[in-house]
Amino acid sequence: MKLKEYEKIVDKYSKKENKIKNIIIAFLSGGLLGLLGEGFVKFLETAFYMGDKEAYMYLMILLVIISSILTGFGIFDKIVSFCKCGLIIPTTGFSHAMTAAAMDHHSEGFIKGIGSNIFKLTGSVILYGIVAAFFLALLKGVIM
Amino acid sequence: MTLKLNNTYIKSSFTLMGRNEHNIKLKPDELIDDYYNKEKNVELGEVSYQIESIKGLLKKEKLKETDIDVLISGDLQNQLFASNFSARNFNIPHLGIYSACSTFTEGLIIASLLTEKNIKNVLVTTSSHNLASEKQFRFPIEYGSPRKKVNTFTVTGSVTSLITSTKSNIKVDSITLGKVTDIGYKDANNFGASMAPAAARSIYEHLKETKRKPSYYDLILTGDLGVYGIDILKEYLEKEYKLKVDNIKDAGVLLFNEESGSLIAGGSGPACLPLALFTKILKEKYKKILLVATGSLHSKLSTDIKESIPSIAHVVSLEVIK
Repeated sequence: MKLKEYEKIVDKYSKKENKIKNIIIAFLSGGLLGLLGEGFVKFLETAFYMGDKEAYMYLMILLVIISSILTGFGIFDKIVSFCKCGLIIPTTGFSHAMTAAAMDHHSEGFIKGIGSNIFKLTGSVILYGIVAAFFLALLKGVIM
Repeated sequence: MTLKLNNTYIKSSFTLMGRNEHNIKLKPDELIDDYYNKEKNVELGEVSYQIESIKGLLKKEKLKETDIDVLISGDLQNQLFASNFSARNFNIPHLGIYSACSTFTEGLIIASLLTEKNIKNVLVTTSSHNLASEKQFRFPIEYGSPRKKVNTFTVTGSVTSLITSTKSNIKVDSITLGKVTDIGYKDANNFGASMAPAAARSIYEHLKETKRKPSYYDLILTGDLGVYGIDILKEYLEKEYKLKVDNIKDAGVLLFNEESGSLIAGGSGPACLPLALFTKILKEKYKKILLVATGSLHSKLSTDIKESIPSIAHVVSLEVIK
C-alpha cells in the first residue's frame, strides 16, 4: 500500500484536534492574562508611582515566578493542557519550559543536570530572539 | 519465520503496577502507587520495580535464584538501564533485549527457544516507566506541548513471567518472528498508526505459515495500538491482506478506556501487554490467544533528523489448557 493511501486510513480513524475551539480558548485565556497583567501594571503605576518600564519589569518577574511555582506543583500542566497556546506563547510558557527541564534533570546534578539542560527548549527562544532583535534593530536603523 | 513448539509453558507470572496516575482498573499482584518507590530518581524507580517483580515471582513460586537458568529482560531506557541495573542484584545469567513495546513477546520467543533445548526455568521481565520514557523519547508535556488526542500513555510497571519446559496450564503453541516494517509514516505522536502496518504484516505471515484462519483464535491481542490504531489495523488488514478480523482487542485500550474515565488514546510500553494479559485476559474464558506485541523502533534522534518510523511486531500464540 502506498503511503498516501495509508494516510487516508489514518486520517479517517484518528481523532483530530478541534483547531477552532483551541484558537478561541487560547485567544480568550491569553487575552485574560494580558488584561490581568495590564491591571497589575496600572496598579503599580498608581499605588507605587512607578514608571512604565519599571512596572512592566515587575509584571514579567511576577508571571515567571507564579508559573514556575505552579509548574513545580504540577498545576500548570493541567491549566496549559486546557488553555494551550494562550499560556504557552506568553512568558509563562517560557518559564514553564525552563522549570520543567530543571525538574526533569535535577537528579543528574547541578552542572551536568540542571546547568546543561535548563535551556533545552528555551535556548532556541533566546538564540532566535536575539537574532530577530538584531535584524529588527538593523532595519529600524536603516529606516529611521 | 514461524516455529511450532512442543514443550514450552508459561507457568506463572508476577504483575506489578507502578504509579497509577489515571486510575487503571486492574488487580495486579502488587501496586506501588509511587513514581519513585523510595529511590532518588525515576530511572532508579523503574529499576526497583523490576527487582520487586523478579523477587515477587521467586517468592510466589518458592524458587531460589539458583533455580533460574536465564533471566531475559528489557525496558525503554537508554542502554537498557533498568534491566541491567536490576539484573546486577541477581545471581542469574542475563540477556538484555530491546524491541520497544514488543519486548515482551521477543523475550517469550527467546525464552521458548531456550526451553525447547530443555532449559528448565527462564524468566522474562519487562518494565516501563512513564516519566523515564517521556524523558527518553518525547518532549514531555511539561515543555509546553500539550498532549494530543492520539497520544498513548506509557504504563508504569513491571511484569515477570516464568517460562518452563515442564507442563502447566498455558502452552506456548507457536512463535512468529516479526520483520522491521516501514511504509514511510512519520508522525511520532501517533503510535497506533506507525505500528499498525507491522502488526498486520506479522499477523498475515503467522496465519499464512500456520495455515490458520483468524477465527481459529478466540482472541487476537495486540500490544499497544490504542483506540484509533486498532481501527486502522482492521482496515489495513482488509485492504492490504484481504483478511477480515473481528476477534481483536488491544491491550492498551483494555487499560485506558472510557470506562476508566480517562480520555487517553490507550496505554503503551513493554509492560502494557503483559499487564493486560496476566491480570485480565487469562482470567477470562479464552482458549486460543494470539499475542501481537508491536514496537515502534524510533528514537528522539531519528525523529529529529526527520526519518520515518520503522516498527516491528512479534507474534506468540498461546493455548490455555484446563
